[in-house]
Amino acid sequence: MSNDTVYRLLPEAILIVVAALIYVVGAFFQARRVWAWVAVAALGLSAVALFMQSAGGNVTIGDDGPAPATTQVTSAGTLALDAGGRIDALGQYVRWLSLVVGLVLVLQSSRPDEDVQEPEMIGTLVLAVSGAMLAATTRDLVLLFLGIELISIPTYVLLYLGRRDAASPEAAAKYFFLSILSSALTLYGFSFLYGIGGSTDLAAVKSALASQPDDPTGLTSLAVIALVLLFAGIGFKITAVPFHFYAPDVYQATTNGNAGVLAVLPKIAGFVVLVRIVAAAMPGMENYGWRIVLVIAVLTMTLGNVLGLWQDNIRRLLAYSSIAHSGYMLIGLAVGLAAAAGGSQAATFDGIGALFFYLAVYALATAGTFAALTYLGGQGKQVDTVDELAGLARSNPLTAVFLAVFLFSLMGIPPLAGFWGKFGIFGSALNFDEGGLADPQVRNWFLILAVIGVLNATIAAGYYLRVIAAIYFRPAQSTPQSAGGNGAAFAAGLCALLVVLVGLVPTPLVGQSSEAGVALHSKESATVQRAANDRTVDDKLVTADATPAG
Amino acid sequence: MSTSLLIAVFLPLAGAALIWVLAEAGREFARRAALAVSLITLALVAGIVRQFDPAAPAGVDWSWFSSEPIDIRFSLALDGLSLWFFGLSALLTVTCVLVSWEAIDDRAPAFYSLLLLLETGLLGVFTARDIILFYVFFEFTLIPLFFLIGIWGSEDRRYAAIKFFLFTLGGSLLTFLGLVAIVLWNRYYVEPHVMTFSIETLQRNLSEHPISFYPQLLLFLALFAGFAIKVPLFPLHTWLPLAHTQAPTAGSVILAGVLLKIGGYGFLRFNLPMLPEATAACIPWLLWLSVAGIVYGALLALAQTNIKKLIAYSSVSHLGFCMLGTFALNKPSLYGGVLQMINHGLSTGGLFAIVGMIYERYHTREIADLGGLARRLPLLATFMALFTMSSIGLPGMNGFAGEFLILLGMFQRGYAEAPLVYAGQWLAIAVLAVSGVVLGAWYMLWLFERVFFHRLREPVHHEGPPIRDMSPREVLALAPLLVFVFWIGLFPQHFLAPMEKDLDQVLAVTVPPFNQRFQEIKERPVAETDVAAGDVEKASEREAVRPAAPVPDRDMNSVLPARGEVARVE
Repeated sequence: MSNDTVYRLLPEAILIVVAALIYVVGAFFQARRVWAWVAVAALGLSAVALFMQSAGGNVTIGDDGPAPATTQVTSAGTLALDAGGRIDALGQYVRWLSLVVGLVLVLQSSRPDEDVQEPEMIGTLVLAVSGAMLAATTRDLVLLFLGIELISIPTYVLLYLGRRDAASPEAAAKYFFLSILSSALTLYGFSFLYGIGGSTDLAAVKSALASQPDDPTGLTSLAVIALVLLFAGIGFKITAVPFHFYAPDVYQATTNGNAGVLAVLPKIAGFVVLVRIVAAAMPGMENYGWRIVLVIAVLTMTLGNVLGLWQDNIRRLLAYSSIAHSGYMLIGLAVGLAAAAGGSQAATFDGIGALFFYLAVYALATAGTFAALTYLGGQGKQVDTVDELAGLARSNPLTAVFLAVFLFSLMGIPPLAGFWGKFGIFGSALNFDEGGLADPQVRNWFLILAVIGVLNATIAAGYYLRVIAAIYFRPAQSTPQSAGGNGAAFAAGLCALLVVLVGLVPTPLVGQSSEAGVALHSKESATVQRAANDRTVDDKLVTADATPAG
Repeated sequence: MSTSLLIAVFLPLAGAALIWVLAEAGREFARRAALAVSLITLALVAGIVRQFDPAAPAGVDWSWFSSEPIDIRFSLALDGLSLWFFGLSALLTVTCVLVSWEAIDDRAPAFYSLLLLLETGLLGVFTARDIILFYVFFEFTLIPLFFLIGIWGSEDRRYAAIKFFLFTLGGSLLTFLGLVAIVLWNRYYVEPHVMTFSIETLQRNLSEHPISFYPQLLLFLALFAGFAIKVPLFPLHTWLPLAHTQAPTAGSVILAGVLLKIGGYGFLRFNLPMLPEATAACIPWLLWLSVAGIVYGALLALAQTNIKKLIAYSSVSHLGFCMLGTFALNKPSLYGGVLQMINHGLSTGGLFAIVGMIYERYHTREIADLGGLARRLPLLATFMALFTMSSIGLPGMNGFAGEFLILLGMFQRGYAEAPLVYAGQWLAIAVLAVSGVVLGAWYMLWLFERVFFHRLREPVHHEGPPIRDMSPREVLALAPLLVFVFWIGLFPQHFLAPMEKDLDQVLAVTVPPFNQRFQEIKERPVAETDVAAGDVEKASEREAVRPAAPVPDRDMNSVLPARGEVARVE
């Protein structure tokens, strides 16, 4: 059976092996650009492995028969599998997303500053990507934590490698200590989950909680503690208020490239872990969960957007923007949880699916923005302030267009990808009611949430427009070097293309993301017996699996 | 026709892409290509408008965004409501290209491609038959105009561009929530519980199964936020004069001419037919806001020292008229309101173009700097005089047809149709609106007198070509507008007739709840009112054209002019 596990984790394994190779050989052979190409090749190889998995799948269990999954799940160890024995749609979706984002990040780092040790930097990036992928594939607490740490620890290294000035070590140290703290909180939360389930398998946690519904003195009380600790720990990764405050300082003090890594990879992993645990493995906790998430969502987006208005440093501004976007994504989670609490399946999927669609859209636009900024920098000097972007439309029109595309997409202006992200998120908040199924009071909360969301989107437009106005309307003050390398330019172009394409033809990505949302709840049919409800979900899943992910 | 519709909408987009890609070819190529593209588009649009048949609107309908249960369609078609807005967009784009011919020197290829991009957006807004597709185009128009104002505008352009963008975005995001909520309501509360985004289906479903009152009111307010800012209605107008004065000439022309109309169009397309009860409840407020805009805009226009600002405030005033007509909710006023939106596009578009021509010659827009231009620029003065007359509503020109119908409708409300409690209020609104006409004549004629009469006074201009009267290009830019100014003025029925079916449909849905609401107040305890109102709804479904009303004698429908009578009124 362990062979199966290795096969399923092949895409991650490839990346880890190549990263190790880069570390070891790179010490002797410091060729500048070669390692970036090796990393790109590794990502490509990993993509091939991933594609073969989603197309074929080695374990064939009769798709029609009732999934005899109890044995299946234990034997396959601890991966998040669907009824067909493959990594489930959510896992596949996030793995593809991580690979694409990883490609962008590696490309943009293909020509960093002279004093940066190239091979190590590329190797750590590849490791971090594999961490995000690993976190998406598993249903086991230990592996989930491993995935998160596989992002965190390389990030510490990246921050130190980034640049050599006084602010940089400070930022790295700040990030390091806070990240350790958040890891500790997460682990502490995990330990409660372990106590509840008696196993590190989330399926066990889930069945334990499901067997004791609403017992305020028993497991539920432990689960509440676990929930709060998880939000605190993961909240750091996804820069949710009040665990956001490191982000602006750290982004500002590091390079544009590193800020891109920080803004994207931890969020992908953070959201997938949060959803895997809170939305899928803690039945009966949704009623606590959605209230917490709703409050955090409102605070996160409002604070991020309002503080973003006053920033002159471009990375600080984008840090607040990334905080705000986490807030929007949390709306999706809140909707999912509240709908699950109300027993409505459809909106659960709607909310969670919208979250993952938004995650992809956000990741593309943000990674693209940082790639474009990296490109605009050069040897020893990078773009720091909004003012430096003034007049970019003349000096570098193509990059200016890329940046405009990203910023308009983050703003949510159609026909760019960001619009459909907002459509999904706000639509799910409105859809929550499901025609009067929900408690009217809860419904009103979500109506208010949607209104706060759109008001926030307006506030956000204020600072994005300021950047665009600088690029297009102001005369140049200093011309950026535009010496960040062709890799970064290509990465930015790739992201811009994807943002426009997803905006014009949203259906494929939306299909994948909503399958990812559905997949989350399919496993329960394999482990917990909730027969009647889940039959339909299973059916959906079988048809969904007929088409390859990605 | 469906193919030509598709081509007409996306040809400007293709042209924009071409000009952008061939930016190296320079200004000469860019402006010629833009002119060619906009002329071909205009020809296509003219063909479509000529062949338009209200009974059988043709269009395309493809699946665009489908993810169970969401099915957003890429569906374009014209109907009577959008017909003239569609034509106006294509017409004014040609004018915009021509007036920018010499004025735009810096980064001309980018300018023309944005202008054409904007045209695609506008043509798309008016043809979209899917609620989300509408919103996509609606929002998309912000981007090109944002750049047009911000890059090629006057001194304060950055602030104006950002304010314009934020105001409209803020409102339209709430509109977006409202639109999605309408779709969801239809899905959950209306048989057969499907999620449809088709405007037509939604309109039909919601008029058969109205949304309950309080949600409807909320939805109305959400949609109102976006559309009222776009129009702009009185307290939400502050972005408009700024955007107008800072925008380049072409930007002002298209902004005043078409973009503001999207707000009115939105009210007609969504608020009135989909949310009739809420509309009825809000009518007094809406009328007061409209008339406040009329008077306030006119008074501010009187106080301006800058020609462009004056015309911008006159826009606020005139759009108040359009909205007054729309919300007075009887046949003459609604017809007049829509007609007046077209009229305003023609006459104010022309006026802004003339201001641009003056600016090109003298580099000033201050009234005090200018005088006696009629001697120097007789042709320009003639055009200005004609557009001024059109703007103040001289009989025989388009402004008269619109304003007359609006005021007729409003007085009809006050005299004949209102229960006594409301008669005074509505008469007061009508009288105030008339004062707007008077003030309009005052500030426009006064402007004309100060700039074109008296002793010749020109600012000293150091270099540049000597001052010449209008070139053939400039004449060509304005002459087509004048043709329509007179055409509408003399034969308004040509323009009203194609709209009849769709406007009457709007009335058929919106008037019964209005009657019911205000009739109830008039004779509250009488039980038969409710029965009668129910009859009205049924009758109006059967016979959409003219809501026959078996309601007691003073019901307003009996006073409505019959089909064709509107034209005779002229």
